[in-house]
Amino acid sequence: MRLDYNEDQTTFLTFLGQMLASSEAEFRAAEDWGRYEYGAALDARLEENGFFDAAAEEELGTVAAAAMTYEVAQKPVAIECGASSLLRPFLGREAPRPLAVVLDDAPGAIRYLPVARTLISVSDKTVRVAELTEGSVSEVESLYAYPMGTVDRKALSWSELDVASDRVRVLWRVATAAELAGVLKGALESVLAYVRERQQFGRPLGSFQAVQHRLSINAIEIEASRMLLLKAAQSLSAEDAALALGYVQKIASRVGYDFHQFMGAMGLTLEHPLHRWTYRARLLRADQGGSSSASLAYASERWGAP
Amino acid sequence: MDFNWTHQDSAYRQRIRDFLQSELPANWADIARFGPGSEEQTEFSLQFCPKLADAGLLIPHWPEQWGGAARPPWEHFILGEEMWRVGEFGSDEQKRQYIPEMASGKAIWCQGFSEPNAGSDLASLRTRAVREGDNYVINGQKIWTSYAALAGQCFLLAQTDGPDGGRSGIAIFLVPMDTPGIEVRAIPSLIGHGDIHEVFFTDVCVPASSRLGEEGEGWNIISYALANERVGIPRYEMGTAELDRMVAELKSRGSFSDSVVRARAAEAAAACEAARLLVYRVVDGRARNVPPANEANLARYAVVTAEHLVTDFGMDFLPDSFSERSHLSFLSHHERAIVTGIAAGAAEIQLNLVARRELDLPRGS
Ligand SMILES: Cc1cc2nc3c(=O)[nH]c(=O)nc-3n(C[C@H](O)[C@H](O)[C@H](O)COP(=O)(O)OP(=O)(O)OC[C@H]3O[C@@H](n4cnc5c(N)ncnc54)[C@H](O)[C@@H]3O)c2cc1C
Repeated sequence: MRLDYNEDQTTFLTFLGQMLASSEAEFRAAEDWGRYEYGAALDARLEENGFFDAAAEEELGTVAAAAMTYEVAQKPVAIECGASSLLRPFLGREAPRPLAVVLDDAPGAIRYLPVARTLISVSDKTVRVAELTEGSVSEVESLYAYPMGTVDRKALSWSELDVASDRVRVLWRVATAAELAGVLKGALESVLAYVRERQQFGRPLGSFQAVQHRLSINAIEIEASRMLLLKAAQSLSAEDAALALGYVQKIASRVGYDFHQFMGAMGLTLEHPLHRWTYRARLLRADQGGSSSASLAYASERWGAP
Repeated sequence: MDFNWTHQDSAYRQRIRDFLQSELPANWADIARFGPGSEEQTEFSLQFCPKLADAGLLIPHWPEQWGGAARPPWEHFILGEEMWRVGEFGSDEQKRQYIPEMASGKAIWCQGFSEPNAGSDLASLRTRAVREGDNYVINGQKIWTSYAALAGQCFLLAQTDGPDGGRSGIAIFLVPMDTPGIEVRAIPSLIGHGDIHEVFFTDVCVPASSRLGEEGEGWNIISYALANERVGIPRYEMGTAELDRMVAELKSRGSFSDSVVRARAAEAAAACEAARLLVYRVVDGRARNVPPANEANLARYAVVTAEHLVTDFGMDFLPDSFSERSHLSFLSHHERAIVTGIAAGAAEIQLNLVARRELDLPRGS
């Protein structure tokens, strides 16, 4: 048992932190008050520098890949990271990124699809990939702070991969948990910065105990989410992965409302970035069936089928 | 990062399991039902702790000099550690006097901290210790003192600087409970007989050598002790075991196929695992000699949440079990779940500390 990052992981995350500190990752209101900004330039530099390949390196592994997903998700710009860092190294073949993922042929728009070059489809028995050709994807206007799109899935040319779909599902649960925990952490930091400064009644909002306690509980739960997902990233057990995702999906909604509460009206503007995290969290908390699905999956792993 | 146990750690755990398997009496569940301050458990402890000591399982983390094996933190963190501080701050004479009994598992101590008007605001305590020559004369009252009626010794906090000395006036005294002038009254409570007490000190005279550390050092010493107590008992483990028992009971009744029940069980389990990892982080820091930050406050709050979710699960889906003798552990778990949020610093105090130290939020005016 050793719960700090090892030397290589520390170096990796330090470099990552430097790249993410770039002004490209900062919040700028999008054109026409759009709901998201895709961090294309930063994405390209992370890829050039091999950041998405951490999972395949022994000393970094899936723990570093999950930690990276958690860090990247904290930024106001969206960058596709979970599938690229946790799924792609295990697909057994090259898959041009960014990636989009669809499970069990779920209907509707798919996140990251408008920027993606590969779509991964995971079903009960198989994992398939299709490269997305120019113009095949239609962007869908959406409240979620992600590029969202649809594609005629039947028209794509699919190839089946030689990987177990159970394993990909576990990896995808870990990736989603990491992304959601990171989104919540990013929102927490922005709200903390606000309540430390904003004065009412002659004192900072953050000095009121009613505000402090709720933010403390949220911070404790976000940190617990981080530990649970890192444990799942190491073990890659179905049990740990379901637990980590179920936990963070369960807290996401309450935590998100608290954040908006303490931002007052400012949190409703498109001028402040809070909405970026809020709406990514809204999507992620419902992903893969949401908290109840993950909880039921965990119950079956731990206590057996009903 | 590595969430796996080393081979040594696993072997150690197995050794403990084997020991418990062979040494715990068949009626342990009945004994466990009574609070730790009950006659039943005390009688048991006085027999069982020396056995643990003989097996090297009581104080493995203490320095070798005092009968321990200087084992690393991961091996020992199950044990309440605040008494270990005697070894850190005590004089040699104090160590010779107290440690052998503690090391052999025969000592029962009580903690004389809280007072009627000094609970969460412990630094406002008013019990006085006035220096008179080579002695101190102690007057005042303690309350909620666990095991006071059974204890041989009291780890007592008192003001040496006058009644309003605050933190800087607090000193610690190791006081034998049979010293004249000490009166103990049990407080009837939810958590079993003989657990919590009032203790009155009237002109209690103790030698100056019974002071632990210097005058004014008391606050620093107990800050360490409380940081340890906050995560001393791995309650999430009891919660996890209790949850498994509840699930087993529901299965035997054929009512664990309901999705609502299954999802709720999973949520309680998730809270236990969250608490476990946050507690592990505290121990991990100790194992690596990183100075403690606020991990213990986060962990304590997570443990309280986990305790509540487990007990709520049982009470919602097995309400009848809480009054049946066959499932008494569920009931005592519920009672202990209330305690967890209060003893050793209320949950809200943990949140205050997290807000100020971890989140860097400003103090009120
Ligand atoms: C089973 C049990 C065993 C105990 N054993 C011992 C023992 O052996 N020795 C000993 O010395 N003490 C013991 N205690 C006492 C324990 O340390 C105190 O109960 C605890 O510190 C809280 O003090 P209080 O009960 O006076 O509550 P109070 O200080 O009166 O507080 C009541 C409640 O108010 C809230 N509150 C208080 N202050 C704040 C604040 N600043 N901000 C927000 N909310 C606040 C909290 O919710 C708190 O629970 C024991 C308690 C229990 C329940």
